[in-house]
Amino acid sequence: MGIRFASIRQLMSEFPSPRGLLPAIVLLVLWQIFQSGNSPYFPPPSTWWTGLIQLAAGGRLLTASVATIQTIVVGLVLAIVSGVLIGVLIGMSQQASRALGPLLEFCRAMPPPAIVPLAILFLGYDARMKLTIVALSAMWPILLNTSSAIQHIHPILLDVSTSLRLSVFERVRLIVIPSVVPAILLGIRIALPLTIVLTLLVEILTSIEGIGALMIAAQRNFQSGQVYGLLVLVGMFGFLLNNAFSIVQAVILRRWPPRNVQA
Amino acid sequence: MLDPVFECRSASVTLALRDGPRPIIADISLEVHSAEFLSIVGPSGTGKTTLLRMLGGLLQPTGGEVLVKGQVMTGPPEDVVIVFQDYANALLQWRTVASNVSFGIERVLPRKECADRVRQALDLVGLLGRAEDYPWQLSGGMQQRVQIARALALRPAVMLMDEPFAALDAMTKAGLQDELLRLRDQTKTSFVFITHDIEEATYLGDRVAVLNGSPGRIEQVVAIDLPFPRDQIATRQLPEFLEYRYRLHKAIGHG
Amino acid sequence: MASGRAVSRINWPGLAVLALVLLAWEAVVRAGVIDFEFFPAPSAILAGGIELAKDGILLQDLLHTLLSIAIGWSIAMLIGISVGLLLGFSPLVRRYSLASIEVLRPMPGIAFAPLGLLLFGFSLQTELVVTVLPTVWPVMINTMGGIANVQPRLADVGRTFRLSRHEIIRHLLLPAALPSIIVGARISLGLALVMAIVAEIVGNPEGLGYGIVREQQALHPEAMFAYIAVVGVLGVILNAGVLGLTSLLWPATVPRRGM
Repeated sequence: MGIRFASIRQLMSEFPSPRGLLPAIVLLVLWQIFQSGNSPYFPPPSTWWTGLIQLAAGGRLLTASVATIQTIVVGLVLAIVSGVLIGVLIGMSQQASRALGPLLEFCRAMPPPAIVPLAILFLGYDARMKLTIVALSAMWPILLNTSSAIQHIHPILLDVSTSLRLSVFERVRLIVIPSVVPAILLGIRIALPLTIVLTLLVEILTSIEGIGALMIAAQRNFQSGQVYGLLVLVGMFGFLLNNAFSIVQAVILRRWPPRNVQA
Repeated sequence: MLDPVFECRSASVTLALRDGPRPIIADISLEVHSAEFLSIVGPSGTGKTTLLRMLGGLLQPTGGEVLVKGQVMTGPPEDVVIVFQDYANALLQWRTVASNVSFGIERVLPRKECADRVRQALDLVGLLGRAEDYPWQLSGGMQQRVQIARALALRPAVMLMDEPFAALDAMTKAGLQDELLRLRDQTKTSFVFITHDIEEATYLGDRVAVLNGSPGRIEQVVAIDLPFPRDQIATRQLPEFLEYRYRLHKAIGHG
Repeated sequence: MASGRAVSRINWPGLAVLALVLLAWEAVVRAGVIDFEFFPAPSAILAGGIELAKDGILLQDLLHTLLSIAIGWSIAMLIGISVGLLLGFSPLVRRYSLASIEVLRPMPGIAFAPLGLLLFGFSLQTELVVTVLPTVWPVMINTMGGIANVQPRLADVGRTFRLSRHEIIRHLLLPAALPSIIVGARISLGLALVMAIVAEIVGNPEGLGYGIVREQQALHPEAMFAYIAVVGVLGVILNAGVLGLTSLLWPATVPRRGM
């Protein structure tokens, strides 16, 4: 029973001391004091808040947030499903891994933002295009991590499965997949910020509904308070999402050996 | 004389490598009877691992044959279970101890019988109290006992052990050696125990086979005539023990 | 015999797959099976790329992006390593700043693009804002981690050898932290490329990123694909380049096979 919370406790203890927030707070306070409300480039933090309130009033903030979050979540789920499935298939076959290796390497090295204009050209300017590019790009780290982990499953474990005469399905279900769950989660961890970045990128570039669209609109209208406010909002959102995922990861992995225990 | 439970008849393994075929082990003839403990000693490089994999059905002999209960082996047989040296990677670290022990039998036995066997096996190795823990929470010696319990749950005719205690400290090793002998008495399982430790082979075995040369061959089989029950201190001091130790060292080429 | 083994080490199946994909792509487009208005064949892309290269536009854009990456990465390295060293050496400074860093770090670089535009309009400075800010973190964190991980142990070793503080830092701590710093630098470089492209797509109408958008909006798919291909190849070259350079200068820090 104790291990149910041991890994979460470990996670909490790894959080840096809250005293570390001092520089950020000091910066904000000084900023507020030394900037008048009229500065177009470095408006004080109070204007950030009012800027956000402005957006919230019309309901625009809510609809944009929902659109962005929806893309991120659905995109991530699609990426996970496809990444794991294809990753398992590739990982389980030596020939496939070797043959597809260079192709996968090239796809990995290609910066996803470079593909965005391509997606726009092919799929048009709508939410479906946004989702497609986000899911397709986020799939790669998950796929590559999964297939690599499968290739690194310890041979003794495979010997055990042969020795116990497991069928292929049983081998995949009982040994292969549980072995690579930690690697899959690591891949998702990498994919998560990628989904955020791409979603915002598409929204900024195309003004498709979302926080990014709000940001670029605010910039075009010289609403600097809103720009900063949205920036903080995005930052907070990213922070919360990453930490929420860390907790989920810790909960799922509580049965696996902790990373600092050499198995 | 009862028929042997496990038998090798002139078995050999030749691997097809890039620069030509290389015989790893040749002309292996062995017999193991019910409840017998056969130790196999040999220096590294003589094909101990290959021999074990062949005996366990993970490798097909390129010459000769291996028989279990009189039947020629064509793949990993039901009556033979392997206990690996690398216990950490041979166990499923994400499953509880009890779940690990049931791993071999859960797909073929009904729930209740499975649970009974698991309990029995854990009791035999003295780990009933840790059934709900995870392997990575246990010490090396305990993890190895879990692997042994998993093997026992299958009620095999033969347990193949590949240097199972090599990675453990001396005290744990001594304890597990005695436990193995006790298990043999209680379950009447046959043991084929591969090791590089001559003293361990002598202490545990009814017979000790010497694997040597390249390709590895069984050069000698020494019958060990030491009294039971074996004792870590008393037995190892007997002049007969030292005599066997000397003979085996010479046979391997250390003398 | 050695050449025979080298030949067998080349990933023939891998190359075959690549070639097959390109051929299939070419065949499919020519046969009219797939009739996307904007789906050119590889031969057309190659031709388009050569056109651009001849006009000098491609080179100009490439140089701009490279310049932007170079400046941005250098600034990021400067800030990252110096702050990283400070954080690594001083647990006190760490305690009073780590939380702030943890809060700032998850900020996606792209989110700074509207801010950059606000401050600098369509210019190189905007591009640098978007490139430098996210790129600082890997170098900083890895430098800090590299020092902090070895400091207690190695400082003790240095003291038993009665080395001065300066000598300890120079001969023990910095070399020990080097592998970690280099990994941070490599990650930052890759990130700098991505962010430069992002900035050029969104904020600064110059460089390879802008080239992609420009050709997309002008409905020149061959040229667009050519630009994308250049970006992809650039990424591979940059990574291989840094890896090669480090294995030349500091061979002990490069992991063997399997990276």
